[in-house]
Amino acid sequence: MTTGLNTPPGVSQKLAATIGLPYTLTTGKAVGSTITALASKRLTGSYCSDCQRTNVPAQDYCVGCGGEMSLIEAADTGTITAATTTPEHTLLLVQIDGASSPLLHRLVGPAEGAVPGVRVRAVWADETKALFLDLEGFEVADSEAAASSPVDTTVDDAMKEMPYRLDLDYQHSYGPYYGRLFDELAHHRRLVGSPCPQCHQVMVPPRERCDVCFARTTRLVEVQDTGTLQAFSIVHLEFVGQTRTPPYVYAEVVLDGSSTRLIHVLGGFEIEKARDLTIGMPVRAVWKDASQAQGTLADIEYFEPVV
Amino acid sequence: MRSVAIVGTGQTDHSRRRTDVTQVGLAREAVVRALQDADLTMDDIDSVVVCTGPVLFAAVNQPEKWLADAIGARYKPVVRVTSGGGTGLAGALAAVNQVKAGIAERVLVVAYDKLSEGALQYSISTLYDPFWGREFAVGIMGFSAAYWRARMDSLGHTEEAAAMVAVKNRKNALLNPYAHVKKPVTVEDVLNSKPLCWPIKLMDVPPISDGACAVVLASEDAAKKSSRPAAWIRGMSYVSEAENAPNRSMIQSEPLTIAAQKVYKQAGITNPRRQFDVVEVQEPYTCFELSYYEGLGLCEPGGAAELIKSGATEMDGDIPVNPSGGCMGANPIGATALIRLAEIADQVRGQSGDHQIHGAQWGLMQAGGGWANLRGVAAVSSEKG
Amino acid sequence: MTPHDYVRVGIVSSAQTLLKDAWDDLQHVDLISEAVSEALRGTGLGMSDVDFIINSGSDVLDGRSISNCGFLGAMGAHHKEESRVEEDGLWSLSYAHDKIASGSARVGVVIAYSKPSESSLTAYYSALVEPFYQRPVGLDHASAHGLQAAQYLAVHGVDEKELSVVAARAWERAAANSSVDTPQVPGLDEIATSPSVATPLRALHLSRPRDGAVAVVVASEQVARRSTSNPVWISGYGSSIDSQVLGEREPGSFPAAKAAAQRAYARAGVSDPRTFGIAEVSAGSAAAELMVVEALGLAEPGQGASAYDGAASTVLNPSGGALPADVVMATGLIRLHEAAGQLAGRLDRGAGSASSALVHGAGGLAHQNHCVFTLEV
Repeated sequence: MTTGLNTPPGVSQKLAATIGLPYTLTTGKAVGSTITALASKRLTGSYCSDCQRTNVPAQDYCVGCGGEMSLIEAADTGTITAATTTPEHTLLLVQIDGASSPLLHRLVGPAEGAVPGVRVRAVWADETKALFLDLEGFEVADSEAAASSPVDTTVDDAMKEMPYRLDLDYQHSYGPYYGRLFDELAHHRRLVGSPCPQCHQVMVPPRERCDVCFARTTRLVEVQDTGTLQAFSIVHLEFVGQTRTPPYVYAEVVLDGSSTRLIHVLGGFEIEKARDLTIGMPVRAVWKDASQAQGTLADIEYFEPVV
Repeated sequence: MRSVAIVGTGQTDHSRRRTDVTQVGLAREAVVRALQDADLTMDDIDSVVVCTGPVLFAAVNQPEKWLADAIGARYKPVVRVTSGGGTGLAGALAAVNQVKAGIAERVLVVAYDKLSEGALQYSISTLYDPFWGREFAVGIMGFSAAYWRARMDSLGHTEEAAAMVAVKNRKNALLNPYAHVKKPVTVEDVLNSKPLCWPIKLMDVPPISDGACAVVLASEDAAKKSSRPAAWIRGMSYVSEAENAPNRSMIQSEPLTIAAQKVYKQAGITNPRRQFDVVEVQEPYTCFELSYYEGLGLCEPGGAAELIKSGATEMDGDIPVNPSGGCMGANPIGATALIRLAEIADQVRGQSGDHQIHGAQWGLMQAGGGWANLRGVAAVSSEKG
Repeated sequence: MTPHDYVRVGIVSSAQTLLKDAWDDLQHVDLISEAVSEALRGTGLGMSDVDFIINSGSDVLDGRSISNCGFLGAMGAHHKEESRVEEDGLWSLSYAHDKIASGSARVGVVIAYSKPSESSLTAYYSALVEPFYQRPVGLDHASAHGLQAAQYLAVHGVDEKELSVVAARAWERAAANSSVDTPQVPGLDEIATSPSVATPLRALHLSRPRDGAVAVVVASEQVARRSTSNPVWISGYGSSIDSQVLGEREPGSFPAAKAAAQRAYARAGVSDPRTFGIAEVSAGSAAAELMVVEALGLAEPGQGASAYDGAASTVLNPSGGALPADVVMATGLIRLHEAAGQLAGRLDRGAGSASSALVHGAGGLAHQNHCVFTLEV
């Protein structure tokens, strides 16, 4: 098969992908002490003796000079210096009494009247979760709201770690090259690549530009679902996000008719014999039953050695 | 062209997990030590280059924006250069060019990763094309092990030869105060260790570390004002290779060869094995160190197993490689390349302490990342040239 | 900027893709290679003449770690020196400048791209701040700009209406710019009554995310003169970062933008920025644009709106600027492409002939980081 790129796939076709990663963040002394103290309804700041600067909430290092700061007890009252209201909430910059610069937090209560110059006081969350939001935010207070009297600044067993997650969702465009690649894969169980008109090498997945010489490719060609085992390793390691159960064989295959490597897995033999596999041996794709096909590279269950 | 020198280096107390500091607190520790070593303060620094591993390692997008406050860099030029595992060297190259172009007299390069905070192999698997191959990825370990297996056949990089790298580097790490893994092992220990991704076994793999490194680069004028010894940058290059280029060789690294040849030309090196006194390489797995011997021209292609067996790359050999212990002593990925540069600079500055190679005047370092497709090399000397 | 021991750096050519809401039918690599091919066209330079590639993109936006590593072929970077600068493309250009000015290389291609349509910009922006204090409270692109805008209006006593005037003018200019896909051009009333997103900002006061890519070919003076009859010279650049803590930043102004500009002007030997023929500046909101204009010295503090006067000596954002088309990592480099294209006569945005230009780019949440370039012919 050889064809031009004159039959593009549906333009709005997208691949949904999610990257969801767990973390255990280290809070450092200032954040750990500050968040721990919130549970007992106390706000913590930090002081730089060189710059005579006070930060609330506490920072480990002085924004002015980069020096280390010492922890201090902070007032839980202050004055609004700026506010913005979004459809979700109102965010405030609050000059905590005694601080050198304002703190960022949420307004508790109606946005009306929460304007610069207005006095506010801390509102504590009913339920603490060892997060900065244990300080729920600030509410408008009487104009004479006084600072709470300073108490002991020491925090026993300040938190040192915080669990965290980042979940990122994507809708990746196929574009003309991958569009055709996956159309052929889904509908015809065929793999296609693009030959470079200058180097005459065939790239799978196909792409517009030759990776080596930057020449523009102009057509697609079918490559075989048989190939050569270029490299392999035996996976025993378990890790977050893994899609197969170890042990299994990771493989890179050069398909017949192509000049690039395809990442996949090997199967069709007893795993105990995997070390006997040889580099350069012929392999072929074993396709899943058509009823299970999803139009992805996993439609190939695995590659198996050709005996 | 202006000459550029390293006039200060600093490393953190690397560890499997530093529970006492944040990501930026960790980086700051290295900065404070580098400035101390250079006998300078942040006021003397014109520009800062930050390097970290991929941002998904750390849950913070563009982490230099956070770091700037922790090191007192407000209102200075701060930029982050990223290039996978070799990012520290890629950043150093950007900094070197700032000095050479007359844009800055002194540049601080700081590189760090706090790997204990994330899920490493999954993070690394996000390197792969989401359409094509990501679901089969095993970090870079699956890939690295696969090509080691291929090099066993074609170059004779046997499991035993690679095990000797682990033995050497772990032994050297005993002398390095910054190494956090200090456990001597034997070839048998390595061969018998648990397979993770065969042929890679547990002891072929460096630790996962929290750590940072910082280096102060200075122009010739600025270096002359310094009371501290200088390591002069005599050549530096960082070269890429399209990761799935047609007929890409995994047996010999072309980008490494290109980078090395470029650096040797800049530095006037014609016989690296004879002319360099000491080498530091970034070995994410033992098998890579063998490949680097060949790519750097320390031996002929296919000669790496013989070279390690000969003892030439031991501390007392004629071309010691990784007297610091390399990645085997500590491996905070985003910092590792800069650690290699700092280590090699300290060797020619004569301040490597217990792992000093006596009288070292010329040092060579290598670093890299990605799918073994990003490769950098630098040469440093105690003489400006 | 360069005394005789440094090599003068010229912009040989530049090109961008159309900036549109979603390039649904193309991948990142397709956008990148299109911009690069177009930038090299007509220069007589082929990819084999290019010594290095420096590029700006975001792993978080791309959904891929070390995403540059996956795009090397499309950038033409195979077996060349290559680096990713994870910041607006103007910072990539500064690195490229240094490589050529130092004599380390002769020809480079600088690339910047973003495809925000594929991901969540909210997630991208909120991940830009430290995860302990500012992120959980819900600080994001809109609210950070909202707080800054509120401070700007309050500090200088500027009327909220000015924001709509600035935005309306930007959209009007963009409508005449064929590089920006602008099917509907909102007028002043529509802008002033668009939904409130972060008071005092309304939806149309914020920059509009677009997909696109830009590539710039830079070379040593010798190569530049050989490759084009209209080289544009980089006469200076500077950058400066502010604090990440929003409460630490100076209300109502951008001192980091000012510091970046002062560095650029000092290198270029410019004492009065109002002598630049064209200024192309980046901004995430109409208020931020006024603050940038003031920080660059094109207007007095609080008087930014005056810089848009027909009588002003510098034509401000003839392309429409960043409000109608914000390509995240590419916005600043697109400004440079616009300015250089106009100086070289490749682009006509109705600004007349000019012999010098000022370019500004920003990075981080609510413009924590700033970069300024000065150009001349």
